[in-house]
Amino acid sequence: MSTASLAAPRSGAAARFDLLFLALALGASAILVALTLLDGAPASAALIVGGFGLGVAFLKAEFSYTASWRRFLTRGEAGGLLGGLIVIAVTALAVVPVAALAPKFGGAIAPLGPSLIVGAFVFGIGMQLANGCGSGTLYTVGGGSGRMLIALLFFCIGSVFGSLSLPSFLALGGIDPVLASDYLGPWGGLAATLASIALAAGLIVLVARRRGADYRPSRNYVIGGVAIGLLCVFVFAAGGHPWSVTFGYTVWGAKAASALGFDLSQAPFWQWAGPKHALESSVLSDTSSLTDFGMLFGAMAAAAAGKPFAANAWPPLKSLIAAGVGGLLMGWGARLGFGCNIGAFVGGVASGSLHGWVWFAAALPGCLIGIRLRPLFGLSRD
Amino acid sequence: MMRKVYIAVVVLGLAAIVTQHLSSPSSGRAVSPEDFAGACAPCGAPCPSKK
Repeated sequence: MSTASLAAPRSGAAARFDLLFLALALGASAILVALTLLDGAPASAALIVGGFGLGVAFLKAEFSYTASWRRFLTRGEAGGLLGGLIVIAVTALAVVPVAALAPKFGGAIAPLGPSLIVGAFVFGIGMQLANGCGSGTLYTVGGGSGRMLIALLFFCIGSVFGSLSLPSFLALGGIDPVLASDYLGPWGGLAATLASIALAAGLIVLVARRRGADYRPSRNYVIGGVAIGLLCVFVFAAGGHPWSVTFGYTVWGAKAASALGFDLSQAPFWQWAGPKHALESSVLSDTSSLTDFGMLFGAMAAAAAGKPFAANAWPPLKSLIAAGVGGLLMGWGARLGFGCNIGAFVGGVASGSLHGWVWFAAALPGCLIGIRLRPLFGLSRD
Repeated sequence: MMRKVYIAVVVLGLAAIVTQHLSSPSSGRAVSPEDFAGACAPCGAPCPSKK
């Protein structure tokens, strides 16, 4: 039986849904949920379900950090950036106070130093070349983009190289995480976090108005931003930490490298307690991997429910090279920068950690360079 | 062509996840590197002050 004949009956010229890939996405999710439940880990199953919801929400809202940042930098349009801030504000309402008050919960924190700045800057270049960030790569791969399959593969490879580079960059120095709730308490920390988000929103609107560009978020971005924010809170409740994406890629890359005979266990990064545990244990024991798998299959289910899945032709070679280079840069940058738009920017700011804003300030100029490099690969600057 | 690539990726990927899970120790509850003592970042990196 051909794959085409497994698609749903066609109505007119277009099939209404793709039964094969809908079944694959739902079946794969069900298998992973069952495996975690058999291990007696309902919170792990919840993380897969939360990731599934995020995949659906991102795909349906067409929520793109990469395109939003590019539209702001090239045209001054601020709606997408403000949609991203809605996500952070909703998430912060739960994360800042709960992380400060409940011992089993923690925020996304990270040291401030050259590693963070260099990593975020390089990530910014990569995300514009790949045309997707950490979460964007996941949901577009899940949504049927073969180009982003290439980006994901190289993201994993780059993040393994990043794991080998990170200890050297940390040795350059830095200061411990700066967390608002440490100085102002849980509620003062929340107020300061929301004020910082409001200030950033005000500055972004000011820039947009000065450039004569639209600053109002679309309906999709408002509804999608609230929905994604609520799902971030759900993932935080299930996993005990804000949603993160890219550590999962590092674990997948390292496990693949180990299977190919490369011994990473002696590398300094992989001797730290957390990474060491992740390398030795089941991939379903890692919170980041669980939400990643859920998001991939959630986006796949949402895409297959609406039209034939992965029906497009492969893009030109130059575009595929851009995806690979961008993936490599993002992977390396994400490890040095302590995450991507989600783990570092959304998670960091929503935790009241200063590193989230530093990450944003360093990634934005990286994006500007990435945008200027896009035409070399046949991609538009818009 | 892309559909066939996707079918292969999903089936092989799922098989790899299940095989890796069944052949590796599992601690039950999933953990993040931040759950371990001394972690100062989502990847488990130590704090500069601890060096």
